[in-house]
Amino acid sequence: MKKILAILLAGMMTATAFAGCGGGGSSSQASESKSGDSSAASSDAGATDEMTKDANTVDPSLFGDENNITLKVWAPDKAVSLVKEQVEAFKKAYPDKTFTKIEVIAQGEGDAGTQLLNDASVAADVFSFASDQLNKLVDAKVISEVAFAKTVTDMNSPETITAGTLNGKLYAYPETNDNGYYLVYDKTVVPEDKTAKLEDILAACKAAGKKFIFNCGDGFYACTFAFTAGVKIDGLEEDGVTQKFTQYDEAEAVKTLQAFSKLMKEYKGTFTSLDVAQIASGFSTGTLGAGVDGSWNTTADQDALKDKFGAAKLPTINVDGTDKQMISMFGYKYIGVNASSKFPASAQILAYYLAGETCQEQRAEKLGWGPSNKAVQEKPVVKDSPVLQAIAQQAQNACPQVNIAPTFWSPMGNLGNKLIADETKADDAAYFTKLLKDTIANVRDEA
Amino acid sequence: MIKSYKLRRHIANAIIYVLLAILGLLWISPFVYLLMHSFRLESMTTVPYLIPHQWGFDNYIALFQNSGSSAINFPRWFLNTLVVAIFSCIISTISVLAVAYTFSRLRFGARKKLMNVAMILGMFPGFMTMIAIYYLLKAMGLNQNLIALVICYSSGAGMGFQISKGFFDTIPRALDEAATIDGATKNQIFWRIILPMSKPIVVYTVLTSFIGPWCDFILAKIIMGDARDLYTVAIGLQSMVSPEFINQYYKQFLAGSVLVAVPITTLFLIMQRYYVEGVTAGGVKG
Repeated sequence: MKKILAILLAGMMTATAFAGCGGGGSSSQASESKSGDSSAASSDAGATDEMTKDANTVDPSLFGDENNITLKVWAPDKAVSLVKEQVEAFKKAYPDKTFTKIEVIAQGEGDAGTQLLNDASVAADVFSFASDQLNKLVDAKVISEVAFAKTVTDMNSPETITAGTLNGKLYAYPETNDNGYYLVYDKTVVPEDKTAKLEDILAACKAAGKKFIFNCGDGFYACTFAFTAGVKIDGLEEDGVTQKFTQYDEAEAVKTLQAFSKLMKEYKGTFTSLDVAQIASGFSTGTLGAGVDGSWNTTADQDALKDKFGAAKLPTINVDGTDKQMISMFGYKYIGVNASSKFPASAQILAYYLAGETCQEQRAEKLGWGPSNKAVQEKPVVKDSPVLQAIAQQAQNACPQVNIAPTFWSPMGNLGNKLIADETKADDAAYFTKLLKDTIANVRDEA
Repeated sequence: MIKSYKLRRHIANAIIYVLLAILGLLWISPFVYLLMHSFRLESMTTVPYLIPHQWGFDNYIALFQNSGSSAINFPRWFLNTLVVAIFSCIISTISVLAVAYTFSRLRFGARKKLMNVAMILGMFPGFMTMIAIYYLLKAMGLNQNLIALVICYSSGAGMGFQISKGFFDTIPRALDEAATIDGATKNQIFWRIILPMSKPIVVYTVLTSFIGPWCDFILAKIIMGDARDLYTVAIGLQSMVSPEFINQYYKQFLAGSVLVAVPITTLFLIMQRYYVEGVTAGGVKG
């Protein structure tokens, strides 16, 4: 009896072990062979680049022998219906090919990387994602290189290309140049000519008895304090995990932090640190004068304020008599191609199309997304939009959100929380020197 | 020092009641907030006051009309969860009771050892094996499938036999013996004699296994991935408050959370009579 049981158990264990290996093994094999393909493709990159016909389509011969094509596309919910139309147009652009099925599935850009890393073999072939995920996607070898790197580089703004490049290779098709935050305000509270200086904005809000929201506790926003103070980031150290900072003037940096803290104290009750989700809500209840909000919330803010809605780049802050521009964190959105796609060439061509000029222009028109394509950036749809102009201007005063160490966010959030904390004395320079040093040490994980 | 015993008792009671009242208030306040704000009409996300200014059913109506949107499909999620809950409830109830009966009434060689194995396995947190489970399901072609959820929720259920076994142990064996003399098989004894006498514990098992699928998040999320049509309410509701949707769906999220409570509460109200009885009876002799 015991023996039979033992044999049974052992049999079951080996069976499950094999089943596990079967699944895992095949997918890793697939990704290996696919990454081999893509490197082969990039070695004759010049050839494929010459075969791009225009800013949207390529020579149909690039499909190779792929036919009866099935692809899955991930796009954020708001874009799904538009992307579906674009996919239909894509099919028409290649009339000789048979597309069995191209599905478009709603998947938020913030979560796309995680979903892809969970199991690349069931993930989308072509997916939208935010720039901060690029590192881990490349590390895990789940994203293929861009097949038409040269053409894509020529078409898009240089900062999006730089942020999409790792180890000298372009890994994703730039989709937008707008993933950051900027100043939104109620025009009846803050006059349009008073949005240049943080002091003026706060004074206007206070006079009207309304609030100003800046999320000091979240590193994504709070790093503005450090960046404005001149403490900027410069990629990662060679170990690949430690954040590198640029040289900075400590006295100047401390003064800037003090200036921020002083303003927060002076406008206590007006300057509030709340989640950005509160901004649209605050506008709709009329308790908010202005706030620093993310570009993805633009529609909600506009709905709440209607024609009172105003947008501008982040204001300046007065440090010892000079107005310093606030520097923000700025990211981009990309379209990537899954390295384990069953139709790698078709996926590349679709990604090229979706990131192409026509599609970017359509998204700018219908969704208000700031384009990365240089030609579209010059079009009236962008030039005449105050929001896209504000975002574009802020992009000039920003650190790109690439190569961010995972330890970056919470010390920065802590810095923001300390600046606004009641017990912090704004004139205590020694305290801020220590705070700055601690923050950097914590980000670099040296504490 | 207060001399009077009566006074002392009154003071002590007063302190205890005040403390309990405060705790009770704290405990119930999130639910009150949830319920009230699910009827709120103004504003988009949260508001800094407790009592909504405008009341209405709009959030509930929107929740069910929005099914056209590709990403948020609450009616579908609700139905998914209900189906999964019903099936895993039936299967796990039967398996839990059968296992408990076996360990309580039958005597066989590995009985003690198997009980120990089940006990030890139960001590490992469930999410430890989650990735392995995912790949096993994928190898069987069951990922992104509601059947997978039913399998996951009900297949391990038999290990939670302890409380039911405790209850069965309290039923006199003389009944079994009498039935055996009358020619009943073990199977017949289980269905005809033991089960009808074990209403409280059956109810308890039904309730616990029905609630599981409504609350599970991690496993369902891993299995479903991007198949939004197959989400259960737990994942669906969470996705409604993700940064992408929160501005539009926060109030609907509140309404959805209230609705999730409906089936569970209904079942509870119907069966609550037996519930306490079941827990205590099962605990008497473990």
